[in-house]
Amino acid sequence: MPAPGTFVLHSLANPPLKAGDYTLTGQVNVSRADGSPVGAVDPQATHLRITSPRYKLPPDQLLSTFPPANAVGAFSARLPQVVIKRRTLPWEREAAPGASTTPWVALVVLAEGEATLSGDVPVRECVTPGITLSGPGDVATGTYLSVTRSVIDKVFPMRDELALLCHVREVDVNDTELAAGDDDGFLATVIANRLPQYDRANDKPVRYMACLINLEGQLDALAKQAPKTFDFLTNAAVFDYRVSLPPAGDPDHVVMGHALKVGAVAGVAQGVQRGTTAASRAARVDAPGRKLQTPPAQRTTGPAAANKSTASQWATTTARIETAGLTSAANEAGRLVRDVMRDGYRANLEQLNLGERVYRFPVLAHWSFTVGDEGGFDLLMARLDVGLLGTEPAPEKVPPGAPPAPPEPRPAAEFTETGHVGLPHLTRGGERVRAWYRGPLGAVPTQRDEPDPASTPPGRLPLAHVSDQLRRVVPDGREDLSLAAAFEIGRLLALSQPSLVRALLVWRGEQFGAARARSLLGVMSDAPALVRALKAGTGDAALLLSRHLVQQTGARPGQVLAKTRPVADPGRPLPYAREGGLDRLIADGFGFTTAQVQEFRKGAGSALSLQRVAVPLGKQRADAPLLEGAAIERLRGVLVADVDRLTADSIGRPPGAGGLVAGGLAVGPRGAGRSGRGASQPAGTGAREPAREPAREPDALDDLIARATAARRRQP
Amino acid sequence: MKQLQAAQTMSLLVQATATLAAAPSEEDPQFGDRILPAEIRQALARLRLLQSVPFSYLVADALLLPRESIRFFYLDRAWTDALVQGALSVGTVNSSDRAELAALHAAIRPEIDEEERRVRTPGGERVQQGPAGQISGFVLRSRAVSGWPGLHVRAYDRELGEADDASIPESDPRRIKLLRMERLAPAVLLVLFDGVPAVVHIEEPRQGVQFGVLLRPDAANPNRNRAVVKPRNALTAKDTNQNPADVVNVPFRAGTPGVLDIKALNAALMAKAGTNMGTEVDGAEFALQMLRFPYRQVFGDPSLQPGAIDQVFRPTVKFTLAKLQASFAKGLAP
Repeated sequence: MPAPGTFVLHSLANPPLKAGDYTLTGQVNVSRADGSPVGAVDPQATHLRITSPRYKLPPDQLLSTFPPANAVGAFSARLPQVVIKRRTLPWEREAAPGASTTPWVALVVLAEGEATLSGDVPVRECVTPGITLSGPGDVATGTYLSVTRSVIDKVFPMRDELALLCHVREVDVNDTELAAGDDDGFLATVIANRLPQYDRANDKPVRYMACLINLEGQLDALAKQAPKTFDFLTNAAVFDYRVSLPPAGDPDHVVMGHALKVGAVAGVAQGVQRGTTAASRAARVDAPGRKLQTPPAQRTTGPAAANKSTASQWATTTARIETAGLTSAANEAGRLVRDVMRDGYRANLEQLNLGERVYRFPVLAHWSFTVGDEGGFDLLMARLDVGLLGTEPAPEKVPPGAPPAPPEPRPAAEFTETGHVGLPHLTRGGERVRAWYRGPLGAVPTQRDEPDPASTPPGRLPLAHVSDQLRRVVPDGREDLSLAAAFEIGRLLALSQPSLVRALLVWRGEQFGAARARSLLGVMSDAPALVRALKAGTGDAALLLSRHLVQQTGARPGQVLAKTRPVADPGRPLPYAREGGLDRLIADGFGFTTAQVQEFRKGAGSALSLQRVAVPLGKQRADAPLLEGAAIERLRGVLVADVDRLTADSIGRPPGAGGLVAGGLAVGPRGAGRSGRGASQPAGTGAREPAREPAREPDALDDLIARATAARRRQP
Repeated sequence: MKQLQAAQTMSLLVQATATLAAAPSEEDPQFGDRILPAEIRQALARLRLLQSVPFSYLVADALLLPRESIRFFYLDRAWTDALVQGALSVGTVNSSDRAELAALHAAIRPEIDEEERRVRTPGGERVQQGPAGQISGFVLRSRAVSGWPGLHVRAYDRELGEADDASIPESDPRRIKLLRMERLAPAVLLVLFDGVPAVVHIEEPRQGVQFGVLLRPDAANPNRNRAVVKPRNALTAKDTNQNPADVVNVPFRAGTPGVLDIKALNAALMAKAGTNMGTEVDGAEFALQMLRFPYRQVFGDPSLQPGAIDQVFRPTVKFTLAKLQASFAKGLAP
């Protein structure tokens, strides 16, 4: 394993036996010690087949591609490559007899128009007609790449270069997501020999197709020698079969004045011709210092017109590939995406009159990408929307003048600063409400409860046993179901693994059962009665215990099993329902005894009873000077009148119809001060300070009261 | 037999259940005696790291993770504890089971804590021990995840003052270990750190490191390009010298944009002094010469690199309410 952060490059990983059918023959000749032959054992022939991908790369073998499929970016200074998981794969077959260290695969990168890709055909049609690949194939159908001689000469790697374009890499997988996998860190890499270019002057992106092709039997088709140069034009045309396409049969576009298409094709044709001229001219120019002769402006004119339409076509193809990947069913996505990728590479070159030989190469894997002026890993990372979870996404940049964005198809999401999300919640009762939910990933650190039951906050369980115990109601009245949902998903995930369920049950049985037995033995040593009973030879201890348990259960079920539930739940205690009933209530409220109340209730109801109760006046003492004389008599008269009137007011009877009502208003010599609350001012004053104040004459107010009392008494 | 009191028997049984003590059920080769069997510990630790938890439980709304975004987070321990309690509740049938489980829970939880760090032990590293702390991490949803499989993610607890190509071993105390790193979907990467990092590096995958040249477009006509390669010593993989002008011109196949003439390039590289390539060039040597450095994106405190990104991850120290109150009280005191 290489040191962290480094990797090791190896030139090749050559398997000792190439793919194919082999016969292992064993022959044994037996001879005596002196050398005379005894005879031969029958020869044994064993057949073995070494397999390897041939027409199609298994998807699990392809680790990564660069540039990524359907990516758009600035890839023009980097060589496309494909990384294969099996390190020996590029050397598992012989491209030509004897060429054991030459890889049998090559990665070629082709722009639109330079080659075409077939659909699925039987594998025997995947190679150039006239060539047969012996031996078994890995699949029944495959795709092939059709290219002309000139494209092979210009774009395909030369035979001697193949070995330089494949190598093995040994990487440290520890800090990647692959660490958990079974990857050994050895990977085979196949590099292309072409830097994908685009038209820099006009800023036109170009879409390329990268194909991993099988070179078996066709190694000689590759170029052996090619002229070199030290600078190149990014928009130099290589080859475009589209110039040879017959013009559209319908002259409609001519009639309607849409001459663009014709012009575009003509322009491309012109560009191609100029391009080939430049190539032949450059072939003669070998010195690095000398520049190409053709003025660049002249050459860019031709393809520029064509690029207008083709560039937009590439953009739509990229979008269509994305759509195909996103919308198709999972098992069909790969096929559909590859099919859409073939756009622009669909023609059948052999039916066109190109004047060149057309070759076919089996394609093991292919993907397309677009090269432009920006993009790639660095740009993707630098443009990431960075934030803590819960950050609202950055508003989409709307270019000025663009139509307003369509309304959101759903109501705006509810987020809180704490990371909670409001979600619709269908309760068990069928009510549709909204609840709060927060996942395990939050924007703020949270406090973790201590596992110790002693430090658990009041009102919270140290360990939840059902998810409902974790439902919380937050101050806004909604439920917070975060922890309850976590509990439930944990329970379901555990239940989904039968092995875990079994392990939990076994552990619980062993751990809890053993612990129970241990501690039972421990306490049994403190129970001499039990030990004695056991020693007395009463037989099975378990039977003994269980019999007693049954006996005890029958005798005291409340203590052994559980407390029995009452037949009916008691309601709220009613004050009237207490002992003594309403009488007690009245007696307590007014301050006399229940017996008195009961006594007077025998008359005519509570009101009559109340009237008959004697006022428990304080006894007059003989030595009480304050209670003598006319003053006190008058005071008493006034008080009696007042109390009478108040009683009449409160019970709705005319005053004077009955005796005094006292109770709470107990009027007495000592209690006069208290009773004065309801009485008029002069009466109160007189009652409180009779000694210091001389008896005074009744004033106008007294007269008024007296008249009113008398008038009321006269009433029936 | 009549001497045996039934009430006594009952009280013995009740006492036995209530005084359940945690007893080790097996011995772990690394940690010693443990209450939980290894199988359950591992399953619960994987659950703690949110393995197989449905994604909609992690990110409840798509707006929380828009396209081309990275979202850092703290892991809520209360949530993962509830998750584990849910798993433990399987098979607790009666209240004595529950009482016993509750009695053991305080001893079980630290065992799962320490097991968390053993879930991902690449390369036979030693397991870090100590009380379980705050777990943080990020979710990355980007085309970079799907297009560049095998991204490297590293986290450090401080800004590293070292050179970009310095190799810091996994056991370095400045390095924060990865507890989990997994692609949840082709374009969604979930990473959990054992701590709160100050700096996070995301790097282009090594096995996908690319090869290329330095393009030198012509000033007058950007379509006219030259390309150079800085030669490297094949024995040490270092540049032959520090002179940026000392480069090898890359030959191309005439007439074709961007097709390298590899044989001619090799001849030029071999002729260059200091490359030590011998007389024969193999694939590895050629790859070495063409190697480009992987791109590394650093997430950290932007104040350390002025003029950088306007909104990046700012790790904060975990605060408690008690500390907050103390700081308030200090501020109010005369």
